[in-house]
Amino acid sequence: MSWIVRMIVVLPALAALVGLVTRRQRGLAAAVAVSVSAYVAVLGLIQWVAPSRTADIESIGSLPLGDLSVPLHLLSDRVSGLVAFVVALVVLGIQVFTAWYLRDDPRYGQFAATVSLFAAGMLLLVQAGDLVLMLVGWEVMGWCSWLLIGHDSERAAARRAAYKAFIVTRVADIAMVVGIVALSVRARSTDLMAVLTATGDGTLLTIGLVGVVIGVAGKSGLVPFHDWLPDAMEGPTPASALIHAATMVAAGTYVIARLFSLYAGHDGARTLLAVLTAVTMVYAALLALVQTDLKRMLAYSTLSQIAIMLSALAAAPAELGPGAGIAHLVGHAFFKALLFLGAGWLSVLAGATAVAALRGRLRPTGALRWSMGIGLAALAGVPPLIGFFTKDTVIDAALEGATGGGGFRAWLVVVALFVTVVLTAAYCTRAWLLLDSPVAATGELPDVEPAVVAEEDVAVVTSTDSADDAEVERVHAHGHAPITLPAALVVSVLAALTVVGTLFLVSLRGGVHVGLLSALLSVLLVAGAAYAVWSLSDRGRLDVADRVPGRVREPAVRGFGVDTAYVGIGRAVTAVARLVVTLDRDVVDAYPRATAVVARAAGRAGERSHRAVPSLSLLSLLVGVVVVAVLGVAAWR
Amino acid sequence: MKGLAIDYTTVLPALLPVAGLVLVLVADLVNPRLRRVPYAVAALAALGSAVATVPGLALGGGTTRETFCLTGRTAAWATAPTVDGLPQVCLWQADALGSTLQLAAAFAAFVCIALAWPRTRRRRPTDSTREPVEAVLLLAALAGTIVVAASRDVGTWLVALELATLPVIALVALSGRRAAVAGATQLLVTSLVSFALLVLGVALWFAATGSPFLTPDAALSSGGAFSAASGAPTSVVFPSVSAGVVALATVLVIAGVGFKLSLVPFHAWTPTAYAGSSVPIATFLATVSKIAALAALLVVLRAVAALGTPALVSIALLASLSMTLGNVMALRQDDVVRLLAWSTVAQAGWVVLPLVSISALGVGASATYLLTYVVATLVAFAVVAVTLRDRPGEGRSIAAYEGLWQRSPWRAGALALALTSLAGLPPGIIGLVGKITALRPVVAEGWVWLAVVAAVNAVIGVAVYLRWLRAVITAPDGVAGAAGTEGATPAPVAVARRRPVMVAGLVLASAVLVVVSVQPDLLLRLLG
Repeated sequence: MSWIVRMIVVLPALAALVGLVTRRQRGLAAAVAVSVSAYVAVLGLIQWVAPSRTADIESIGSLPLGDLSVPLHLLSDRVSGLVAFVVALVVLGIQVFTAWYLRDDPRYGQFAATVSLFAAGMLLLVQAGDLVLMLVGWEVMGWCSWLLIGHDSERAAARRAAYKAFIVTRVADIAMVVGIVALSVRARSTDLMAVLTATGDGTLLTIGLVGVVIGVAGKSGLVPFHDWLPDAMEGPTPASALIHAATMVAAGTYVIARLFSLYAGHDGARTLLAVLTAVTMVYAALLALVQTDLKRMLAYSTLSQIAIMLSALAAAPAELGPGAGIAHLVGHAFFKALLFLGAGWLSVLAGATAVAALRGRLRPTGALRWSMGIGLAALAGVPPLIGFFTKDTVIDAALEGATGGGGFRAWLVVVALFVTVVLTAAYCTRAWLLLDSPVAATGELPDVEPAVVAEEDVAVVTSTDSADDAEVERVHAHGHAPITLPAALVVSVLAALTVVGTLFLVSLRGGVHVGLLSALLSVLLVAGAAYAVWSLSDRGRLDVADRVPGRVREPAVRGFGVDTAYVGIGRAVTAVARLVVTLDRDVVDAYPRATAVVARAAGRAGERSHRAVPSLSLLSLLVGVVVVAVLGVAAWR
Repeated sequence: MKGLAIDYTTVLPALLPVAGLVLVLVADLVNPRLRRVPYAVAALAALGSAVATVPGLALGGGTTRETFCLTGRTAAWATAPTVDGLPQVCLWQADALGSTLQLAAAFAAFVCIALAWPRTRRRRPTDSTREPVEAVLLLAALAGTIVVAASRDVGTWLVALELATLPVIALVALSGRRAAVAGATQLLVTSLVSFALLVLGVALWFAATGSPFLTPDAALSSGGAFSAASGAPTSVVFPSVSAGVVALATVLVIAGVGFKLSLVPFHAWTPTAYAGSSVPIATFLATVSKIAALAALLVVLRAVAALGTPALVSIALLASLSMTLGNVMALRQDDVVRLLAWSTVAQAGWVVLPLVSISALGVGASATYLLTYVVATLVAFAVVAVTLRDRPGEGRSIAAYEGLWQRSPWRAGALALALTSLAGLPPGIIGLVGKITALRPVVAEGWVWLAVVAAVNAVIGVAVYLRWLRAVITAPDGVAGAAGTEGATPAPVAVARRRPVMVAGLVLASAVLVVVSVQPDLLLRLLG
């Protein structure tokens, strides 16, 4: 069975290679990408249904690093089987959808190959039984995210977003690498089992766990690293779906889940994680409420949902395990992929992603309307959709942690979770009302255009870039072929999975664990929030976010200037680097250069004193003889 | 002479140049219009001399080859205190070190003769005697050099040293140009004063030791003249007066030889003489003369080494001054011959650098460095000579070497190897080995400041040689480059026709340089 585990990692990588070679033949590239991801999905299903439960699957042999043991094993168990299957499934859906969505893109081949490589990275991380392999997968994803977000590289905004994502996550990765090194040094091995069972140095453990939390905060978009994720919407919609649904941002959850038994015994690192997640989920949900762009709203909702997953790991009691976090990862993968692909479909129909332009566009679309409705309901946590179960599993786990002596940490998470439930329901209701209310009912079409330009001017990108942005979306949309059956089928299947996906989680320990009281409370909160939004927006005729005062809303749409802060940090680092260069050039190098000057000057002086005159040479000879004689005799022993 | 056993095969290295000299003179007497025969004879003599040294080499399995040995009381200096049972004293002792220096001198002289090979052009009546005279003088100087390396008594030593010096002065003056005469004059004046110093030093030596031999035994018996009456000359504690006299003798010899090695401050003649003479003669000055000087110095210092003198401040001073001034001045030269002249000043500093430790280690290191320097300098001068034949007017400026890499890559490669060897950079590995060897005794004796000065000079030296090398490698810009390549197209034909011997000399020297660069071990084992 172990060959399945290896194949799941190797095949997407090979598909990426083949896809690069065949990128000119669009049909071939699409066939390779889709068929391989389908095959990998089948393999993932096998691994999940019949897990081999081994921790020492050889990959490429161990690295000879002397004292440090680096076996590079793969690990297969029920969790990795489930997550690998879900990842493969989502990737398959995205590949099918991409074949239609990027039909007119001249660089479809590269895009599909990159998605395959990205999948390989994520699957390697999922199957890794070794910290080094985990890091390799982690970095492959980081690099691929740069490629995917910057796919439309002719646009400055896309390039900037790609660099921003890459640099911000790289900065956090410094801590990740330090953490992994610390954990490996502590265990004298990079093998996951050895790291988990190692005992010893508490300082190294603290450094390791905190470092990994910071690294995860970077990739998963926790405060203060969160701002790259909304900008990453510059990538094509399938790329957004890939990054947000099951892979990159969720990878952090998986890494911490793998290390859960270490975190369970370390209060400090978990408290840090709890604070970060609590702040992020509430803050991102608040920002999602006021966004003017559908994709950006979904991005902020991703931030909020990822924080929910991680909060489960921060607050759950040790005996409950990481099941709640993994469960929400799976549920989120389904409904977020559904929402993003649906949003992509909708943007093709409407020619834009701005909420104002999309108003009421959902109503006449049939299957898409149903799918988006299911997705938003799942996001809001409406029973019996998967989102309800997984979210309430998290809440229940956090409550158990709070009542079971989790203290401040767990209570903070519980409170934040309930606040987030309300906010999530509110922004989902708002989105639904805006997308579904007939335009005729609002009669506000004339002021759509200025709103688009003004409100799309986010993240310090100039307004011309935003105009560009709208332009490109229109290019994607203009004359775009109507959706193909497979792509529509993908959306529908994802919607179906969102409904029945809870069944996937039955096999997962601690996967579905809904407390009656908390479930009742959250349902009430969801209903209340929905009703409040519905009534505040005058039954969908108004945008509820318009009730927020402009001087608060404008900066909120821009992410409260976090981008400016990033730029400031970058400038400061560059300034320090320039200072060092200046010091090196003008102070340190001055001495070597001075020696050159001195040598030249000495040469000039020597030349002046060396005229070809015998008397001068005689004089120097005599002086030399006297000096040498005196020195010779004086220094003789 | 009774008691004086002469082994002619042992002195063959010295006899062959002398025989060649006589032969040239006779040939010139018979037919004064001969031009190539004197050089052919001289080259054969030098080659034979080189071959004759081989049995004495460490590689040839040679032990010390001695002759002119005096035994017991049959000696002429009956007044000197000789003790029965002491090993016999030989006037000619060619051990591995001496034989190696002799071999190097003969080889360098051979290359110089090849470089000076006369052109086929019909000579004018005015320079009718030039070729035989040059050949005779070269052979005489070579004979002096070979003898001085093996001489162990003050008389032979002095005469041989002067035999190695005086013909060179004539050689410099021979071209008759103003610059040559100026150089020769300066050389002559300095040489006279130096000779006076040498004689003074030798006289002091004799006064202190009472022995005309430059041997360790003689040095150990310094004060023997004073303590002979006590009847226990082997266990005397040396009186400080006598030791002081030996010291003075040594430093005077160093000063006198320092002139020939062109150590600062006895160096002033060097650039003038090199620039004034023809390139083959400058080559001879830079190689064979240096070998003679160092051989002479080593004879004295090996004798003094028996005293267990720890080190000499004056040598440290001379070495550091020479290295610094030589490099700094070389850095500013645009004339390659002058550059090489100043470079020999700097390299002379490196040669005597290990002698601060007067020991077997220091002597061996000094000789090793001298050999690496001689081989590299020979190649550099040979390239200059060949280039000068190509472009008589302008071959002496660094600018003339621009684009040499494109014009004739082999010659440029040889020059590059020579220059990197002198600088002590790979691929001239032998230079690096030489520098490390030279620094080892210095560090071993704890002369930290001297080692630092040497290291700084190694860096400046890199700048000196790379400055030239850069011109060799970089192509001249645009038009000049095109013209150069067009002009060079017929040149190889001319090369092949006109100067095969010169090129052969260059090839020979380069081959030796390549061999010792690839296998530095060979050179190190040569010295035993």
